Amino acid sequence: MKNAIETKDLTKVYSNNFTAVNSLNLEIPNKTIFGMLGPNGAGKTTTIKMLTCLIQPTSGQATVGGFDVQKNPDEVRNLLGMVPQQVSLYKDLTVMENSQLCADYYGVPQDERDSRIEDLMELVDIKYAKDKRVGQLSGGQKQKASLVASLVHRPDILFLDEPTIGLDPTTKRILWDLIRELNDSGHTIILCSHDMHEVDMLCDNVGIINTGNLVAYDTPQGLKDSLLESNKQEMAEALSKISDENDVSAQEDIDNLSLRKMSILLKNQDDEIIESIKQSDDVKKIEIAHNGRLNLKIDSFDDMAVQNVLDTISFSGGVIKSVSTEEPSLEDVFIKATSEVNEDDRA
Amino acid sequence: MIEPKKFWWMIKKELISLKRHPARLVSILAFPIIMILLFGYGMGGEMTDLPIVVVSQSEGNLTDLTLDTIKNTETYHVVEVIDDLDEGKQRVESGEVKAAIILPSDYDDDDSNNQKGVTLYLDSSDQMASQILESSTQGIFYRLSNMVASQTSVSTQNANITPSIAHSLDNFKDDISLHINKIYGNIKYIDFLVPAILGMTIMMSCMMGMGATIAGERETGELARLFMTPTSVSTVIGGKIAAKLLIELVRALILIFMAVLLFNVSIKGGFLQTFIVLVIGALCFVGFGIMLSARTSTQEDYAQISLPFSMPMMFVSGVFYPIETMPWILQKLAYVFPLTYLNDAMRGIMLKGQTLGDVWLDLVVLLGFTVLFFIIGVKRFNRDV
Repeated sequence: MKNAIETKDLTKVYSNNFTAVNSLNLEIPNKTIFGMLGPNGAGKTTTIKMLTCLIQPTSGQATVGGFDVQKNPDEVRNLLGMVPQQVSLYKDLTVMENSQLCADYYGVPQDERDSRIEDLMELVDIKYAKDKRVGQLSGGQKQKASLVASLVHRPDILFLDEPTIGLDPTTKRILWDLIRELNDSGHTIILCSHDMHEVDMLCDNVGIINTGNLVAYDTPQGLKDSLLESNKQEMAEALSKISDENDVSAQEDIDNLSLRKMSILLKNQDDEIIESIKQSDDVKKIEIAHNGRLNLKIDSFDDMAVQNVLDTISFSGGVIKSVSTEEPSLEDVFIKATSEVNEDDRA
Repeated sequence: MIEPKKFWWMIKKELISLKRHPARLVSILAFPIIMILLFGYGMGGEMTDLPIVVVSQSEGNLTDLTLDTIKNTETYHVVEVIDDLDEGKQRVESGEVKAAIILPSDYDDDDSNNQKGVTLYLDSSDQMASQILESSTQGIFYRLSNMVASQTSVSTQNANITPSIAHSLDNFKDDISLHINKIYGNIKYIDFLVPAILGMTIMMSCMMGMGATIAGERETGELARLFMTPTSVSTVIGGKIAAKLLIELVRALILIFMAVLLFNVSIKGGFLQTFIVLVIGALCFVGFGIMLSARTSTQEDYAQISLPFSMPMMFVSGVFYPIETMPWILQKLAYVFPLTYLNDAMRGIMLKGQTLGDVWLDLVVLLGFTVLFFIIGVKRFNRDV
């Protein structure tokens, strides 16, 4: 089996005729980390509810681990673990008791149950709080406890809904390491998050859902490359407008495009050097920041473009003190992908 | 210092929230109307039309006059005039009527030197109704004697009263004695109230408790975790019912003990039978709670949805006042509410000393409601959390 999850024309229309998910076609390969992105109300939660058999699809098909969510819900449930955004353990029970309850609900054999729980507690480093009531735990501890309860039946597929929201940076990093470890040990992980850095860093593939549709799907780098390509085309169009039609408003389009950014600090900055940088074909925009840094937008993803700018500065007699570059981020991709759909909707 | 803008926002937010939850809005608007109707009509009026039978073993003018007077008294609703004494008593004991007024065979006997013993055979388990019937019946015979006394002065000239009636009535005051036979002894209001209070408390705690369990856990996501496991809805719900029932059994035990301890309430039918009836009642109201919480997503919603059921049930099901004294529409409504049957069975066992077999109809109805509530609850139950 190649894919852990497959959906075909998956649709959910609620009783008030609101279409939350609209013919969603999605493939999540086995043993990968998949990032599910989308603005609030995009249909992510409804999709997860259908995949976890909490609600029935209106039409279309979805299989999880090869099992149809409508025909074999119990088989699907056995394959799934879920760490919800809101920690949903019983606050009056201890970490151990909550884990035992979940283990028993999943039918984990009694003779294995407690040892499994203890192993998982060690893995996520929460064993020291096993007899504490969940209500007494910190946010990070609660998430770890939730992970133990979700993994106790050894699910193949793990849904993580905003698992690091509200956590401090150190605890976040511990959880990220844990997610990687789980993936290395063969779990397919579906990560829903608004933390683009988290998704960029952890996920093999990313899908962006908006208004119930999958509007983008690729690796994080692939998505960023596509954005750059698309922006380059738009940049070319905008530039031709400026030169051919003298359309000044096109400059705004350039400003909004996410290209590779370059920031340079010169020891001997003067007008001649700045003018020579402006003349460079690769530089599309230049700004002088209040701290004296030159912030450039360059229109190529090729490292040669960076080298060309640096050469131009050297030929003009500039001495570079420091230089940094920045690629378009996944956040740029997200904003672009979701805004395009929103504009389509408005149209 | 109140910041008016922020203050207003709170009001606005509540109004918008209400507007977006029509069920809550309807409930809020309907609730005071229901309460006014219940208190105004159900509790504010006088007790009239209490069902009785008259056992008339005599014939004659005095009997006719007495029967007419009884029939024209608003307190009574004379179901039937019969002549079989045993039948009259049986109809009181079965709860069909609240009392039997028994006119003796010598009631119209002018020549009898014996005192004419009228008997009021009274269901004293219904404390309020029995008090009213007792005083009304005493009043009737007192009025009858006064009327006769005044009419005797015009004696035989009175076209409406024959000499023989005049004679009979003349001697009425001395000749008739009213014996009151309270078949369940002297019952205080607290005795009347306690069985129903036990039932009502079980109802309230079961309904509110299930709301907290189901709607509350739905709201906090705990139910979602359970429903993501390969477990049927009925297992999850069944487990919750069992837990609730266990708590309610303990609560029922405490309630019974406290009633005995604090109010010296007598349990004529025995502790075990009372306990069994309460358990059946608890099961029924847990089912009611499940049915109502099947689709509610928050505890607040549940509270708003359950109130229009629980409050009318409390006032219409004969907890504080006998059902028979209510307007006919409320009487009909009472028989739709399971609390009516629980109260009836509880009073039967605790006050009248009846057995489970005697109150079988109440128990069957309660169990019927229970099955219905569970079927609807589980069918309607929404796994979507």
